Amino acid sequence: MLDLMPTQLLVPVEWYLVLSAGVFCIGLFGVLTRKNALMFLISVELMLNAANINFVAFSLLWGNLTGQTFALFVMALAAAEVAVGIGIILVLYRNFRGVDVTEATTMRW
Amino acid sequence: MAFEYAPLIALFPLASFVIALAFGKYLPKGGALVGMIATAGSLLLSIWATIRVAGGEIYNETLYTWVAGVGDGAITLTFGILLDPLSTMMLIIVSLIAFLVHMFSMGYMNDDGQTGLPRYYAGLGLFTFSMLSFVLADNLLMAFMFFELVGLCSFLLIGFWFREDAPPSGAKKAFLVTRFGDYFFLIGTVGILATFGTAQFAGEGSFPQLAQEAIVGGETMFGFPAETWVTILGLLVLGGVIGKSAQFPLHTWLPDAMEGPTPVSALIHAATMVAAGVFLVARMFGFYALSPTALGIIAFTGGFTALFAATMGVVKDDIKQVLAYSTISQYGYMMLGLGVAGYVAATFHLMTHAFFKALLFLGAGAVIIAMHHEQNMWNMGGLKDKMPVTYWTFLAGSLALAGILPFSGFWSKDEILYDALIVGLNEPIILAAYAMGLLAVFFTGFYTFRMVLLTFHGEPRSDHAEHPVPLGWNMKIPLVVLGILATVAGFINMVPVAEITGADIEFLGSWLDSGPEETAYTTYTAIAAEFAGFEAAELSPLLPAVVALAIALAGAGAAVFLYRGPEPEEHTNKLGGAKDVLVANYYQDEYQVWLAEGLTQRTARAADTFDQGVVDGVVNGAGSVSLFGSGRIRRLQTGVVTNYAALITISLVVLLVAFGIYGGWF
Repeated sequence: MLDLMPTQLLVPVEWYLVLSAGVFCIGLFGVLTRKNALMFLISVELMLNAANINFVAFSLLWGNLTGQTFALFVMALAAAEVAVGIGIILVLYRNFRGVDVTEATTMRW
Repeated sequence: MAFEYAPLIALFPLASFVIALAFGKYLPKGGALVGMIATAGSLLLSIWATIRVAGGEIYNETLYTWVAGVGDGAITLTFGILLDPLSTMMLIIVSLIAFLVHMFSMGYMNDDGQTGLPRYYAGLGLFTFSMLSFVLADNLLMAFMFFELVGLCSFLLIGFWFREDAPPSGAKKAFLVTRFGDYFFLIGTVGILATFGTAQFAGEGSFPQLAQEAIVGGETMFGFPAETWVTILGLLVLGGVIGKSAQFPLHTWLPDAMEGPTPVSALIHAATMVAAGVFLVARMFGFYALSPTALGIIAFTGGFTALFAATMGVVKDDIKQVLAYSTISQYGYMMLGLGVAGYVAATFHLMTHAFFKALLFLGAGAVIIAMHHEQNMWNMGGLKDKMPVTYWTFLAGSLALAGILPFSGFWSKDEILYDALIVGLNEPIILAAYAMGLLAVFFTGFYTFRMVLLTFHGEPRSDHAEHPVPLGWNMKIPLVVLGILATVAGFINMVPVAEITGADIEFLGSWLDSGPEETAYTTYTAIAAEFAGFEAAELSPLLPAVVALAIALAGAGAAVFLYRGPEPEEHTNKLGGAKDVLVANYYQDEYQVWLAEGLTQRTARAADTFDQGVVDGVVNGAGSVSLFGSGRIRRLQTGVVTNYAALITISLVVLLVAFGIYGGWF
């Protein structure tokens, strides 16, 4: 088990937070502006990984492995999500002849 | 063996109702024989019960509890039977008349080739059942239920010929007008139950007794002194009585009820429907005797109705209409008798009237059959020699109705007037009621003999009158039986004769005085004297009797003078404008129709508008507002994921900023 102390961080934790927030906002921007479903998937990946950065950074700060474990879980989850998402996108393509998410509005009122 | 078979008195006719309804068309005579057997059974059992009651036994039992009250002050609702001198007397009258009416109906309906006989006899059976149960009832709620059933049966039978126009209309009118009165009766019944916790007529803890104790104890009920509250309850119940017994102003249904078959009219007027009201007052007389106001109103209504109806009878040309107004008038006498605490006199008149009015209606029915359903007296005449049985019995009934010595009506009517007079000498308002009753005697004598002369005397005025249809035995026997009774029934309570001879021959008085003390005649008189302050003046019954007889003879003599001879003329036109008023029945129907159409219907329309506009408007408004609102709000659901994500993000930012501001981050 690693015996990491909070003081051993080379870079102050605030910078990790700024980086994480930046990556999250890039992902959010992608979700809000893009119409392509594949771009959605990529953006969601960015947002998940922004969270991962936080997990790892604080894990290092507090000398606690739980955060890193969670980061691994999130990656596995992201992989599964991508698998499901790709499947949905394939069906989307088959039904609407495209991957534009604004076209697929037949389920609303 | 006590009174275990008492319920059968009412159940026999119920059985005949069921049998006639279910199997009537397979039975000979359409169920008439079943009905006769059932009513004969009821009559025999009633006589047997009377004998037992005469032996000093009283039956006052709860037979079935259909709502058992649990806990303190809870009300228990029951069915039970009360057999005392009053109810057994009424039972005999009802079952006897019902029996004779069944027999007469075989001549009137079967031999006349009418259809729908099973329905007719089923109606008669149910009618008899309802009335007998009403008489047997030991509490007010049960009495109310059968009171309503009596009303229903009269509706069914008055509207028996429902394919014509007038009978259904008359039936509806009878139903609705009596229902108007019954509405007050229902409130009164609930009020009595709520006040006293019981509706028992007699026995320990009956409501008249509790009321008496409450008045003596000076209690307060529902914010009123006990006396006032008892008066209010008594007047509410009286509403039902006024409706059923056709007292002013709810008498208008009765003349229209003449559209029913004539035997039904006999049953309704003599023994069942109309008698029910007066019987109810007699049944709970211990309650009414506590309230001088209620008694005064009963007496005055009765006296007024007696005169009011008698005047209308004078100008009618339809034989059944004359009898209809005479019925209203005679029940007015009974109410007058009860209102002056003449309990025996009123009950006596109830009995004698049952006999002679059933007789007159059946006699009129015989005439109508003989005349091929002609009812206008101006097309009759000269039937005296062609229908001797009908003529002599009808004459006996007419003499009784007019109150001519020694026929039954004289004794009972005279006793009512005497009781009214001796109380009236101390109470001016009762004296006014007495004066109206006395004046009505003249009109009664007049219209009765006008009817007799026009129908039976003179020369025949139409083909039918020259060749009347001969009558069968089944119509003659009831006429003869009732003719005898109408002649002799008065001998059971001859007050003036008892006064002269000093003999103890007031049999009905002592009969109604037997039985338990709290429902005895003398107790009622004592209560009325103590609570209502009805002090009887000392007066010999002889002079009032002679006066009443003289007035009756004057009325009858005037009619004979005017309508004698082979070709009587119409004299009613000499009344001028008064005739129009009388023929139009004092415009009672008009103002009641106005009340219904002009007032009630408009109020109902306004209420309907309010209901449709305001009440429904609020409800529908809530619906359309939410429908419209959600129609707008659902446009948020674009189906585009980006919009949802943007909304979530914006909301999150707003939340963060809000928390930041209120949480003090800045």
